[in-house]
Amino acid sequence: MPEQQSGQQARLIRGGELVVDDSRAFQPPEGDGQALPPDEPGWVVPLDTWLGAQDALRARSHPVAVQISPDDDVARLAGESGAVDPRGIAFIAVSFPVYTDGRGYSQAQLLRQRYGWQGELRAVGDVMIDTIHYQARCGFDSFLVKPGHDPHRALAAFGTFTQHYQQAYPKPVPPQRAA
Amino acid sequence: MNASPYILSRYMYIYDPIDQQIVEQRVAQFSDQTRRFLAGELSEDEFRVLRLQNGLYIQRHAPMLRVAIPYGMLRADQLRTLAYIARRWDRGYGHFSTRQNIQFNWPQLPDVPDILAELAKVQMHAIQTSGNCIRNTTTDHFAGVAPDEHINPLVWCELIRQWSTLHPEFAFLPRKFKIAVSGATTDRAAVGVHDIGLQAAEEDGQVGFRVWVGGGLGRTPLVGKLIKPFVAWPDLLTYLQATLRVYNLHGRRDNKYKARIKILVKDLGAEEFARQVEETWQPLRGGPDTITQAHLDEVAGRFTQPSYDPAAADDADACAPLAAGDRSFARWLRVNTHPHRMPGYAAVTVSLKATGSPPGDMTAEQMEAVAELAERYSFGELRVSHEQNLILADVRRRDLPELWRKLDALGLATANVGLITNIIACPGGDFCALANAVAIPVAEAIQRRFDDLDFVHDIGELDLNISGCINSCGHHHVGHIGILGVDKAGEEWYQVTLGGRQASAIGASENLAERRGGGAAIGRIIGPSFARAQVADVVDRLVQTYLRLRDSEAERFIDVVDRVGIDPFKTDVYADPRLAKPKAEEVAHA
Repeated sequence: MPEQQSGQQARLIRGGELVVDDSRAFQPPEGDGQALPPDEPGWVVPLDTWLGAQDALRARSHPVAVQISPDDDVARLAGESGAVDPRGIAFIAVSFPVYTDGRGYSQAQLLRQRYGWQGELRAVGDVMIDTIHYQARCGFDSFLVKPGHDPHRALAAFGTFTQHYQQAYPKPVPPQRAA
Repeated sequence: MNASPYILSRYMYIYDPIDQQIVEQRVAQFSDQTRRFLAGELSEDEFRVLRLQNGLYIQRHAPMLRVAIPYGMLRADQLRTLAYIARRWDRGYGHFSTRQNIQFNWPQLPDVPDILAELAKVQMHAIQTSGNCIRNTTTDHFAGVAPDEHINPLVWCELIRQWSTLHPEFAFLPRKFKIAVSGATTDRAAVGVHDIGLQAAEEDGQVGFRVWVGGGLGRTPLVGKLIKPFVAWPDLLTYLQATLRVYNLHGRRDNKYKARIKILVKDLGAEEFARQVEETWQPLRGGPDTITQAHLDEVAGRFTQPSYDPAAADDADACAPLAAGDRSFARWLRVNTHPHRMPGYAAVTVSLKATGSPPGDMTAEQMEAVAELAERYSFGELRVSHEQNLILADVRRRDLPELWRKLDALGLATANVGLITNIIACPGGDFCALANAVAIPVAEAIQRRFDDLDFVHDIGELDLNISGCINSCGHHHVGHIGILGVDKAGEEWYQVTLGGRQASAIGASENLAERRGGGAAIGRIIGPSFARAQVADVVDRLVQTYLRLRDSEAERFIDVVDRVGIDPFKTDVYADPRLAKPKAEEVAHA
């Protein structure tokens, strides 16, 4: 995907390169917990929306992404089986409304280590040059860099540290050069 | 099991290339963050937490930089670097904190990257000395030398230091997080008043840890709960990981005063908290952060080992003859030197509690002189105690008279360790933006009131701790006498507590379930607050009551408080005409 597209800056780091983010968040209208977005590409739905209609959503031609907020218990996404069923999920987005709220790091670890999620895991929200290294080590593999932070510098931040003490957390995969 | 993991003679950890690289990369990262902030690329809000994670506060006069001294261990060359920093970038002195760190109160923000680069040259840093992350791990300042030590905590402290450094999952916790480790009968690390307190123990020939969680001072002082009676050493880090994960996910983030782990443990109950940790731990147990024997040996092998002279055991006694004729030396010998597990050696406290000098402050000249003494008398190594003194841990007893003369000439031989004038105090309102009231002038007023050393020695063991606000950096809750500065209608007032203690000795056979946090206790408030000018009188009154009530010199102040309670003290204080309340009393007690 080209870096510039219809005037939008590419701020999504995905697969080690910068791309334009074409996702959009679905907010169910007030009082209508049953509402669903149309079957189109790019929708990200809250965990409750997903859980309320997962059979229907899994059957769509355009898979939705599921957003996890800090208050969400990620075990609910796994359900009774104890593992997240990946069918029909485009990616999981873990949100950081403020970067000082570190719950998303543990949620990512649980999704990766305990609930078996192997698909795309995206950090969204207050994602900074300064947090990407930690996020990558906790299992995120895509990152929507917040406005005001140079996404190229964010790409370079994967290499901030080349040595680590904690063995249980992978080293960040060094980014490929963006095309 | 191999005995090497807890061999006694392990001292100062020497970095390997990986340790060095991590510290240098952190300096580069922080330099870039500072540059971006100064260039307007990082907002004030974005930079605030990033700088705090590197020990940089914005204080009353200037930024305050807190430098980590991991578990209080310091080499002579490192102390010289601290002296250099004090002189070049500060005002010629530093302040040793109650968490075994050092603080510089006057650096300029643009200089901080250079200071960090200077520190990195001697294997030092400011990583995680502030912020809502895992802070410097603290321990017994007599680790490795104390005769009552069962397990040397230093190797374990280093393993925790490494594991907690730049931990990717726990950099943005609900609140700060402090871990303390003790391995001796007398708990000098105060494990009961830390977020996690680890008491090294041996079970069936294997080393492990009793895990206390949820202790802490501050606004809601609580003594920790025992959540796990024994974690075998290979499981230490995965168990910590599980504990931190439960806290990170469930600790309160809506109210900073309720965000410490102690509130979570209190709200859930210790049993339920322990159950959640256990459930989180099971899948982590045995995982990649399990400590292997090989890794343990490798870390242990990077510690220096002091080369004690076995002939020291046969040295002639150089102290008794001098002590017989010199009261000053006798007093110093009695309270500022401490037993050592090696015959012919002693540990020495270098007192930073001279009257008129803020507790814990040290000038660059004193640092350089003490660095030299450490090299001459103590294998070039020192420790920082949480009582804000320095320790020369391995002094040959025959050298004590000579060392005493040199320390005395430097103003560092005040013979008051463990006594009423060895006051623990935070920097207080003179320096700290958080404080409600000053602490240092109050400490000085008390030291001046008790300026007769014979009397101070007659009073005997007494911990007096002063905090300038409820954040409790001066650990007033665990002082035998605690003094807390409070703000009442814009005025400074001081609340007095009695009966606190950081720990009591732990016997191997005692029932753990009945012990709370290694015997720590929180002091009780005696009544309405006092004006600043009255505080020394109040302390004097409390001491008089103690002297009247004690059944012998062997009964310490804290023992009397335990025996008779706080009421006799309270009655005497509030009946004293000197302490008659000014008319603002109603305000003060509001």
